[in-house]
Amino acid sequence: MDEAFQASAQWYDGHTAIRHEGEAVWNGGDVLALRSSSGDTDVPFTDLEYAEERAGELVYRRSSQADFRLILPADLPAGLASRLPEKQVYGAWVDKLGIGKATAIFAAVSVAAVALFMTAPEWLGPRVPQSWERNLGDAMIGDMGNRLCHTPQGDAALAKLLGAVDPAQQKVRAGVANIGMVNAVALPGGQVLLFDGLVQDAETPEELAGVLGHEVGHVRERHVMTALLRQFGLSILLSGANSGMGETVFGLASMGYSRDAEREADEYARERMAESDISPLGAADFFERIGGDAEGEQNAVIGWVSSHPDPRERAEAYRAAAKGKSFTPVLSDDEFAALKSMCEEDPNVEEFDFF
Amino acid sequence: MHYDDIQAESAFGFDGNWKDFAKIALPNLLLTIVTLGIYRFWATTRERQYLWSHTRFVDERLEWTGTGKELFIGFVLVMLLFAIPLFGIQFVSQALVLRGYETAGVVLGLLPLFMIFYLTGLARFRALRYRLSRTRWRGIRGGSDDQGFTYGLSYMWKTFVGYLALGLLVPWSMTSLWNERWGKMSFGPHRFDADADSANVFARFLLFYLSPFVFVIGGVIAAATGGLAGYGIGGEEGAGVGLFTSVIILGLFFYVGLGLIAVAFYAKFYREAVGSTHWKDLHFGFEASTKDWIMLLIGDVLTVVLTLGIGFVFLSYRHWKFFVTHMEAGGDILLDELTQSTTATARHGEGLLDAFDIGAI
Repeated sequence: MDEAFQASAQWYDGHTAIRHEGEAVWNGGDVLALRSSSGDTDVPFTDLEYAEERAGELVYRRSSQADFRLILPADLPAGLASRLPEKQVYGAWVDKLGIGKATAIFAAVSVAAVALFMTAPEWLGPRVPQSWERNLGDAMIGDMGNRLCHTPQGDAALAKLLGAVDPAQQKVRAGVANIGMVNAVALPGGQVLLFDGLVQDAETPEELAGVLGHEVGHVRERHVMTALLRQFGLSILLSGANSGMGETVFGLASMGYSRDAEREADEYARERMAESDISPLGAADFFERIGGDAEGEQNAVIGWVSSHPDPRERAEAYRAAAKGKSFTPVLSDDEFAALKSMCEEDPNVEEFDFF
Repeated sequence: MHYDDIQAESAFGFDGNWKDFAKIALPNLLLTIVTLGIYRFWATTRERQYLWSHTRFVDERLEWTGTGKELFIGFVLVMLLFAIPLFGIQFVSQALVLRGYETAGVVLGLLPLFMIFYLTGLARFRALRYRLSRTRWRGIRGGSDDQGFTYGLSYMWKTFVGYLALGLLVPWSMTSLWNERWGKMSFGPHRFDADADSANVFARFLLFYLSPFVFVIGGVIAAATGGLAGYGIGGEEGAGVGLFTSVIILGLFFYVGLGLIAVAFYAKFYREAVGSTHWKDLHFGFEASTKDWIMLLIGDVLTVVLTLGIGFVFLSYRHWKFFVTHMEAGGDILLDELTQSTTATARHGEGLLDAFDIGAI
């Protein structure tokens, strides 16, 4: 018999711990013949699986008998080796590709997955259904109740202002919140709040139109969801924050939009104001003012100023939009006055408790 | 009649070496990193294949037959069945508290803690069962037909009782849980049984238990003498320095000394536990002294620190080698009688809680 087709062998039948010792012989057929004094077995080559290599030996299993073990010397004669299943080192996939290639592919897939995850707010935010965002917003903020200021004249003035910067059929919900800070926020679910402090600070209705248009821009461009995702992570989609309302409003007020988002919101505001013939000079004045005394009044304007582009730059952009045009006043003096006295004259309005 | 008498030399042997292990562990580390950790199940499997196949029991090597896939599936199942619901419960309980249902919220909030307590015991049992069922020797494997659910309950109440009497029953809870766990395991047709006795480790435990008091009293005296000695040498300033030095020495004693005594107790416990474990006509022994354990731990720290952390991949190798080289066994094995285990091994279901694969033995 040819030496190339036989090797010494040990095997266990998987039923008892008795070791069979003898020879493994290939006679040219489809089976490997195991011969020993304690019994003979024929194993079809197709039934053999590679198990492992251990100190100078190769171990094979049988797919039809889970616990059968065949142990052959690692330096198998070539003829026999060619019929036996191939060695595996890292597991099927990695072996097929080779470790270098597998590492590169895995790394590429992982980097892509991480990148996708990290940029999720940017691409996922605008794709979250509006109704979902609305529910989330309601869950986070709850009912504003009497914390928003209402008078019939004030409401009418605000509606007029909003109509000028939000021409869409379905308007965002806007309100004046009874908070003394110079600030404004866009809440999830398409709700925009001007703080009374900002209303009092405004010298012309055009200033308010600029700020309101900017916040509406955040809502329309779907920046709010993106910022929420950035702030709280993807878990926000499953849960919705359920902490105290004041805290949430504060969190939202200090929530950072990217500079690009701010620019987009500014552009949106300028376009709407141009369409409605509103002077952007008011907004320019406003930015110059908060830019000028940002240091002195840091607390009042920090939410607005901190993550926003340089106020001077923004003021210039608004001023540039005004060049060579004439405008009509957005509100009459009476309407502006009604807006300003809204919180003072609302008998039912409540204090806005933050904590 | 096939008959093995294994008195001749140590029944267990290990012939792996760290260079060969490095060829497995370092590519494993690389693949684990580039797959964001997903490869680690296959990495664990490859490491165990190496460690098991270089471990000799009597005249044949062990074989690890677990797969990365079943570990991975087990992990995913545990995540789906336990981790996410636990997270959910935590969330709901917080919401309940915030909305004014404090009692319901707190009760619901405690539930996960109880579940984790229970699951820890269950997981310990399952991990041991999993390892035995994936270990082949001469083609024969181990396992258990017990699901471990009652063990989980035992684990809860015995651990609780152990700490109840000022912690004095901790040795009892440890030995009793060891006996219960191993009593339900088998290899081939034969059951293990263990009769570890807490009385044999209680003296060591008292040493561990009482040493803090001794340290504090001794420390106060030492501090006072230190202060006095300092006063004698350098007046008031000297007293301060003497006192300060004494306090530092006391602190060192407390951390290092107590740690050493804990190791001393554990070394004794492990010798007692393994030494009281039998399998048919075979008895086991574990010969590591407190000093051996301390050397192992110091070696671990140096391995990790001197390689700037990368050496942690060798810890599993070091621990396995430590375990195998100190294991002893004596008695007879009748190979004719050693037939295949009939315990259940669900192909993937087995992986369910085995994902909690925390130090099984």
